[in-house]
Amino acid sequence: MRRLVLLLGMPLLAACNWTVEPLPANAPMGFVPVYAVPDSVNKIASTAARPTNKPGKIYAYTNYLFQVEEATGIHIIDNAVPKAAKKIAFLRVPLASELAIKDGYLYTNNVNDLVVFNLSNPAAPALVKRVPDAFPAISQKHPPFTNVFFECPDPAKGVVVGWEQKQIANLKCRR
Amino acid sequence: MAPITGSAVGTGGSMARFTIVGNYLYAVDHSKLKVFDISNGADPQLKTEVAVGFEIETIFPFADKLFIGSTSMVHIFSIANPARPEKLSEAISPTVMRRCDPVVAKDSVAYATLRTNGPCGGVGSVLAVFDIRNITKPVQRLTIPVREPYGLGYQGNTLYVCDRNQLEVYDISQPFNPVFAGHILNIEPVDVIPLGNVLVVWTRQGMSLYDIAAPQQPKLLTTIH
Repeated sequence: MRRLVLLLGMPLLAACNWTVEPLPANAPMGFVPVYAVPDSVNKIASTAARPTNKPGKIYAYTNYLFQVEEATGIHIIDNAVPKAAKKIAFLRVPLASELAIKDGYLYTNNVNDLVVFNLSNPAAPALVKRVPDAFPAISQKHPPFTNVFFECPDPAKGVVVGWEQKQIANLKCRR
Repeated sequence: MAPITGSAVGTGGSMARFTIVGNYLYAVDHSKLKVFDISNGADPQLKTEVAVGFEIETIFPFADKLFIGSTSMVHIFSIANPARPEKLSEAISPTVMRRCDPVVAKDSVAYATLRTNGPCGGVGSVLAVFDIRNITKPVQRLTIPVREPYGLGYQGNTLYVCDRNQLEVYDISQPFNPVFAGHILNIEPVDVIPLGNVLVVWTRQGMSLYDIAAPQQPKLLTTIH
């Protein structure tokens, strides 16, 4: 009987220890930080309409619809006649994920900056304001999940703009 | 192509992290609610930062309230004083503790999808119905099992819920007792914006527009990919 108790107790002890141990080589999935490429992140431009590859958030304003192209920019759609709604332009805003509009001004995020566009010409929105570091969309310290292992971010490598799920060994950070 | 002029606030979906109410832009990053005064639209001024909690994901405005979805609860704020949001309460589901949960609300009721698949954790996804008549003490009244829900939106007495490979339609004439009224198949919906006679749907391929002149029978108008 005593032996049985010991056997049952062992996995419990192991479970208590596991927070301080790095994962073994046959590691399960963990997360690694994705860093912004410094030269590309501020390149904002109005361009021709383009196909949707990674559709993101949607927004409606007057006769127009908007859809984020994840991490890339915003599709601008003329919705005056819904059954014939069509893209009219693409606003390139690297690492954009959000948008909202009031009184002809579009607010979105360019990496961690809040940026404002004048929509007087919806086919060519004009950048009118940048508020640096106003919107850190994601934590710079850890992935947006708990009970996961991850590669500890290195601030020297730049701004963390995402987390990629990977099968990777020896991840030292955990939350 | 008409120029965009005039005074108006647009409409976002239930997965939004930005929302505008009156002269203020409310933005939720991973842990904070930030309030920007946009009285001068071209020059937003940061007014307040409020620590909300962990893993904030969405923000939805209704009247003078903000409903902020996170992976563990819905935080409810008053914006009676728009520059200084004040926390009123938390809506917590006793059914599903770990999940991702966009939320929408109307007068007496809040609807949240509690998705437990993938890294969100938890077991068993549901559509949760909260009684918010006493805004300081939200109470879960009902849960409806769903598959893998994402965004949701309502207009009048109809609630649209994005689920795995289908868009579900509920009759919410009785707000605390949504009644399944049908579904659209052959679609991978993520979020919706009901916009008068048009339902805007964010799909895995882009965007689809449906005619909802008959609210419970959406008819495909076009897709924008």
